[in-house]
Formats: sequence, structure tokens, C-alpha cells
Amino acid sequence: MSNRFGLPDLGVGLGLRTVHYSRILETNPAVDWFEILSDNYLETKGRPLDYLDAIADRYPVVMHGVSLSIGSTDPLDRAYVESLRALRDRTGARWISDHLCWTGVSGRNTHDLLPLPYTEEALAHVAGRVKEVQDILGAPLALENPSTYVEFGGNAMPEWEFLGRLCEAADAAILLDVNNIYVSAYNHGFDPKEYLRAIPFDRVVQIHVAGHTNHGTHIIDSHIGPVIDGVWRLFGEAHARGGGASVLLEWDAEIPSLEETHAEALRAKEFLQAPAC
Amino acid sequence: MLIPGKSDAVAETAATRERASATPEGHARAPRAGGPAHENARSGATPSSEAAAASNGGRALAAGAALSLQDQQRWFAAAVMTPEAHPLPDGATAAERVLTAGPRLSAGDRLEVYRRAYHARLIECLADDYPALESALGAEAFDALCRAYIERHPSTGPNLNAFGQHVPAFCRSGEGACPESAFSADLATLEWAIVEVIHARSAPAVTIEALHAIPIDRWANARLIPTPAFRLLRFAYPVNAYFQSFRQGTTPLVPAPSESSLLVYRSGPTVWRMPLTDPMLALLEATALGEPLGVSLERAAAALTDVPEEVAGARVMGWFRDWVSSGLFCDVEAPPV
Repeated sequence: MSNRFGLPDLGVGLGLRTVHYSRILETNPAVDWFEILSDNYLETKGRPLDYLDAIADRYPVVMHGVSLSIGSTDPLDRAYVESLRALRDRTGARWISDHLCWTGVSGRNTHDLLPLPYTEEALAHVAGRVKEVQDILGAPLALENPSTYVEFGGNAMPEWEFLGRLCEAADAAILLDVNNIYVSAYNHGFDPKEYLRAIPFDRVVQIHVAGHTNHGTHIIDSHIGPVIDGVWRLFGEAHARGGGASVLLEWDAEIPSLEETHAEALRAKEFLQAPAC
Repeated sequence: MLIPGKSDAVAETAATRERASATPEGHARAPRAGGPAHENARSGATPSSEAAAASNGGRALAAGAALSLQDQQRWFAAAVMTPEAHPLPDGATAAERVLTAGPRLSAGDRLEVYRRAYHARLIECLADDYPALESALGAEAFDALCRAYIERHPSTGPNLNAFGQHVPAFCRSGEGACPESAFSADLATLEWAIVEVIHARSAPAVTIEALHAIPIDRWANARLIPTPAFRLLRFAYPVNAYFQSFRQGTTPLVPAPSESSLLVYRSGPTVWRMPLTDPMLALLEATALGEPLGVSLERAAAALTDVPEEVAGARVMGWFRDWVSSGLFCDVEAPPV
């Protein structure tokens, strides 16, 4: 089953990180595609864009942001969305994603991916904003399930139901982060398989995997180290349900060489399940 | 690394930071309540607007009504942005009212994960921009300075590239109880210039051949346009020498005041730091302000009183050739006289 948006399965990609710029340009590694951190290339006119242009010339890229603040009750930052559109047009990015979260309110930005209360009020609010964003982009927005460390007492539904209903209501795509499911399941005590069962997989265009840090009392989504097998197995199940979703490894702390990072991403192939038919 | 033909310029290996979605751990940097950050944060004395937002959320919480999405966000953001050494604005009871406990952590402890990550992320951002300042001040004083800065200059935009822009002035003001404030401000000014030239527009450099193509009768009226990634800096301290030592892996003592000047610029991907003599600084400042070459060259040559006039003229011309071939200029305008 491919996704309903007709977005391509790009294969196994890597999160583009500045420490790897030179190596990529020197060696042209056989990485299927790169996910760029959109915000690294906004509010700059200089060197980051020079590297990005060179890499986007050689590889398919997808944009992944952290500052859309789709769940905030502050007015939508339309100028920010327009800058995303301009970057998409510059790079030819296949799609644009951000997180199901909010990053600030009252004009202040925490630069963190803060959790939403999963209520009918929030659902209606966020759905309206997703539509507004998609109108500006002229394309579906892919929303990623975040790692969360708290839940609101006023929650009227679990996150998976909120995410599924939101994307149905706004006709949005899903970037399913199976590490985030694993992290949140541990932190809140739910069954990750229940999460997967509720996801409308025809909307999943991309799957994230990453490492994390388990402190015993809670897990932090640190994007450090290799992906644990429990997360890879969750990936295998998610990928089997979705079919043609592109796979992406995020590695953001103590980043190893490009070759080692790529080798870790390619472990995805060990966990791909044969089609049911 | 010294590059032949680049006179005294030194390549700077600065990288821009990532804007990833990972949650920072912050263990190494997080201060404990009652530590120096506590004292410094309070010495600012001005209640931040977050405190105002907190009282907003606080009223709604006290009223006992069902909280709107906006109420919950205002309360949550105010809690997260409260300095870690301070108690939460509404105490732990508010956390328990709005949030649930997890399998192993209380609601208050879960909220603290976000408060810690908020401060850790912004401190990491400032440490990326100001590595030499961090080294000069030491981890504890730098951490305290950052926490005071974060409270005084919370981020208001979607992007962190410019978040650290007020650090030089903040150091100089003494507001964050910055040690060695004048030296620290100079060092921060140098480091911020590196950030600025990384993000300034990339422009192809004008070539020596383009200069040679200027008709001789237009030469005196020609103006060289500095590349957008070009910052001229004057310091009360020899901070470039200090910064160079830092880059070579040493942490020297804070030097005695001694005026110095520096050009920070970027050519292609490489950021350069070029120490300047006073006549060079004056010449580049005048050029950056649009002074025609003929006027600049005469003035600069006249300022070199230690050598005969023709030697001075040749020396100044030599500087310009070096600067052009080093990529300092992106255009030359040569209108008719």
C-alpha cells in the first residue's frame, strides 16, 4: 500500500548534519536521500545555504522543522510558513514536516516541542491551523508524533486518536516516529502496539527512527547512539502496515562518521517484513 | 592554520549549530538550586514577562474553572521558562492539577523535564556561539551568565540564529554579573562577528582582473564594495590573540588591556580573522563607508610617515591587492569622474 498523497518512497535516508557536509560533498555517498532541518536554513543568507544548495543538487531532500508551533494559541506565523515554502521551492524538497506540538505562547518561544492537551478544543484549533498552513504551502503538511514527558489531566483521548482524527480532519500526512512512540509509551505506560493499531497508515509518508537515553524513571529522546532493537522491531511493524513510507535515521548527539551513521540507518533493511500477500 | 598569501589572516573552523528535534539532556550544565545561577538570576530584579504570564495562568488555576487551551499553554510556558533555581510559579500543586503523574514520576517531576530541557537547549545554543567565552569564564560562570541572559532576553522568534546577538552588550552592561566584563564583551563581540559572517549573504569576490579592467581615468573615483560577510572590529583587549590561543587548545589568563583591531570576513565557506594595523583599519573603514579609492590611498599613504611617500603608496597598493585577492570585496563601482 502506498500513501494516499502519492508521495514517493525515497528509501533509507539520513538526517543531514553540518558535521557531515564536507564528507558528503567529497565522497558522494550512496545515501538514498537526506532530511534537512528546515530551521538551519531560515534566517540565514550565507554558508548553510551554500552547502544545502550543493547537496540538494545531488540528492532528494525532505524538509523537517521544529518551529511551526502548530498547536500554539498565538496567531499562526504566516511569514514563517511562507519562508518554508520558499525553501521548499529552492531545494525541491519532496514534502515538509513538523511536529504535533506547540513551542511557545504570548510571543515567547521555548524552542522545545511542548505537548498538547488532547481535547476536542485543541483538535478543532490545530485542525484549522493545519489547513491554513497547507493552503499556504499548496501541499500536505506531514505531522510527527512527538516524544512527550507529561500528559494533561484534561486529556479526552489518547495521542494516537488525536493524531489520527487531526490528520483526517485536515487531510494532513503523518511522519510516524517509532522512537517517539517507544519513548512516550515508556514515559506514560501505554502499549506501543495499540498506538500503531490506531494510525491511518495510508497517511504515513515517512518513518523516523533514532536512539534515546533511558534514565530508568523516564526516557529522553536524545537522538544519541544506535537505535535499540525494540525500536527497530516497532519500525518493522509500522513499515509493514504502511508499505511505501520513506525511512529516516536521526542522530544528533555524539554524531559518528557519515559511514557509521549510514550503516546504522541501513539496519532498517534487516527489519523490513515481507509483504503479507 | 596559516595560509600563505593570506598575510596574517587565520581560518576559523566554526560550524553552525543544529536545530534538531532531540531533547537535550542538560545534566552537565544544570545548576542546583541555591548555586550561583540563583544569585545572578535574582540580581536582575526585573520581573520578566513570563512571570506576568505565570500570574495569568495562576489566576485561572486558582479559580478552579476548566482551563482553556490558552490558559494551559500560558501556565505551562511560564513554568518551563522559570529559572531552575526558583520555585515553580504556582508550586507543585498546580502541576498536579493540570498534569498527571506517570508510572514512575510525579506530575511535578515530569514538568521539570521540560524546564531543564528549555534552559539546557538555550545554554547549548549560547555555548555553540561563544565557545571561547565559555572557556575564559569557566563552566560555572558561563552557565550563570547564560541563565541570566535567557531570563533577560527570552527568544521571541521562530529561529535561534540570532538568539545570542545581545550577549556582547549584556556582558558589557554587567547585568548578568559577568566576570571581567570589558574583556568578556570584547571576546563575545569577536565570536558574534564569526556567527554574523557565517550567515551573511554569500557573494562572489571581485577579482584583480576586474580591478585592472577599470579605465585609468576612472580609477581615483572607484569604490570597492565589501562583501556582506565583512565585520571591522575595534577592541580594548587583544582578543584575537586570546581567541587564537583558545583555538589552539589553551586557556590563557585574561590579558591586560591593549587596543587592537580585527577584520572578520568569510570567503566561500571559510571564515577568516585578519588583525589590522591602525592605518589598515582606517583605510578599510573609509572604503566600507564608500570613500573613493583615490582619496583613501592618498590619505593612507600620508599616514605612513615612517617611509618615503612612494614607498608608502606602494605599500598601501599592496594591501589592496592582498585584500582583493583574499576576497574582501564583492564588487567595484567605477563611475566616470
